[in-house]
Amino acid sequence: MSLLNSQSAPLIQVDNLSKSFGDHLALDKVSFSIEKGQPIALVGPNGAGKTTLFSLLCGYLLPSSGTITIAGLRAGDGNLFGRLAALPQDAQFDPRFSIAHQLTFYAQLQGLTRKNAQKEAHRTLELVGLADTLKAKPDELSHGMRKRVAIAQTLIGSPEIVMLDEATAGLDPINAREVRQLVASLSSEITFILSSHDLSELERLCSQVLYIEKGQLKQHQNLQSEEQQGFLTIRMRKAYDNFLPLMAGVADVQHIEQTQNNEFLITTGLVSPDSEPLDLQILKLCHQHKWQYSQLTNGKTLENRLF
Amino acid sequence: MLNIHRLSILTQFELKRIFNTKNGLIALMAFCAVWFILLTYVISSATELVFSDGFKLAASSLFGSLGLSALLKWPVAEFSIYWLVAVYSFPIFTFLVSSDQTCSDRARGTLRFITLRASRSEILIGRFLGQFLTLVSLILLTLLACVILATVRDNALFLPALKQAAVLFIELAIIILPFIALMSFFNSILSSAKMSIVAGILFYTIGALLIGFIQFQLDSGLFLNFIFPGTQISSVVSLDGLDFYHYLIPILQTIVLLFVADKLLKRASI
Repeated sequence: MSLLNSQSAPLIQVDNLSKSFGDHLALDKVSFSIEKGQPIALVGPNGAGKTTLFSLLCGYLLPSSGTITIAGLRAGDGNLFGRLAALPQDAQFDPRFSIAHQLTFYAQLQGLTRKNAQKEAHRTLELVGLADTLKAKPDELSHGMRKRVAIAQTLIGSPEIVMLDEATAGLDPINAREVRQLVASLSSEITFILSSHDLSELERLCSQVLYIEKGQLKQHQNLQSEEQQGFLTIRMRKAYDNFLPLMAGVADVQHIEQTQNNEFLITTGLVSPDSEPLDLQILKLCHQHKWQYSQLTNGKTLENRLF
Repeated sequence: MLNIHRLSILTQFELKRIFNTKNGLIALMAFCAVWFILLTYVISSATELVFSDGFKLAASSLFGSLGLSALLKWPVAEFSIYWLVAVYSFPIFTFLVSSDQTCSDRARGTLRFITLRASRSEILIGRFLGQFLTLVSLILLTLLACVILATVRDNALFLPALKQAAVLFIELAIIILPFIALMSFFNSILSSAKMSIVAGILFYTIGALLIGFIQFQLDSGLFLNFIFPGTQISSVVSLDGLDFYHYLIPILQTIVLLFVADKLLKRASI
């Protein structure tokens, strides 16, 4: 059953998935489903099982128990070739061949003719801003550049699902931003699954979050859900002595708590339709007292939602 | 089901590894240098010696005692010596050259890029075919050099030499098949080329001792030797009175080894 003729079926369906390495249970009966659409974040502490889950979804590992269905097919099925792409953590290119040679080879495996495969290698490298490294060998590139080339290989052809494991780890801020922009610009065509420790990055890009801890799926949150309504997060540039009592005194503020240094989570009460919107009231208060804020966000930050 | 297009792309990429990379070309040059020395100083000199009037009788006696008297009747003398060198050296060479089919790609993570585009069976068979084509190209190169060597000595030997080269090409191509498959097998369970070579050496040494022990205990079990690629070499080296059975052994060994390697690679974590 293909994705095209199964619009109602989830893009990825995972049921009771477990994976053991000897006595170590890396994943413990994980179940979730992912629909086609906005990027999905995979979050969790080191050793939580994120990379194991990635590897299982890509078919690099076989599950100890449970099932994975991707676009109606089992993980690793030949019909997923070219439809599912991945940036596996720490995977390296063959040092003996040029980048162009290897990307062309991958594109040819996906069914492109040699000429089109060469064009595709050039196009994907252009997407990650590395078109001038076509003839370079992997060892001639920096770690960050190799990572971007690895991202380029995920974009060969027209994949439906792209899994990026720690895509921006090790990249400088400018390149990390470019990768984020690339993901955002392609997210209408491709369903991205991103794993990262940078929660603000995931918050900006993703609509859903899978939180894994000790091999178990602890939370599966929709960041755009209505649960987010009723909360505001404000981050101040510095600490102000009377900030908390004055803010708590705003009519529609039900509760305010400090979540981090200079970051506050505001819970709104029932807002009457006639009263001024709460965010405007807060901004006015800041303006009156000459408080400088750096960010005002609707809802909780991802960090506050998860921890 | 194997996809022919992907299989062909994988095989071509393997060929590029030797013919289109700096490391591959250096290895090729080393191979040519070794064979230049073998042809010039070993095969050419030994041919002159073995077929000289003074040594003919001793050679006949020596070859006869080894069951190789048929070789002395070959019209192109160079190929008799070439064959004796090639039939034993190419299996060892194959053993070394094909020791890294999938393991370094697996250790590096490159295989993770490839398995999203080709099945593990296609990778296994594509690489096996790539190694096979690489090795038969090298065999062909040495055979052509030997044809030139014989033709330089005597122009009239050109056609008989070509004919003999064709026969030996097929023989050598069949002999090396199970050695490549043996390395495909070790590559499917081990993580480095060095480990695959060590495993191969242990397979031939400890395996032979073990089978010898079993044969001694059971007073039978000669068939167990069929697990060793190259077991038929001693009986085919004379190339005299060969039947289909002699070709069946290496072909069956190849099929069985590839089948097992495929099963193991499919279950392997990459």
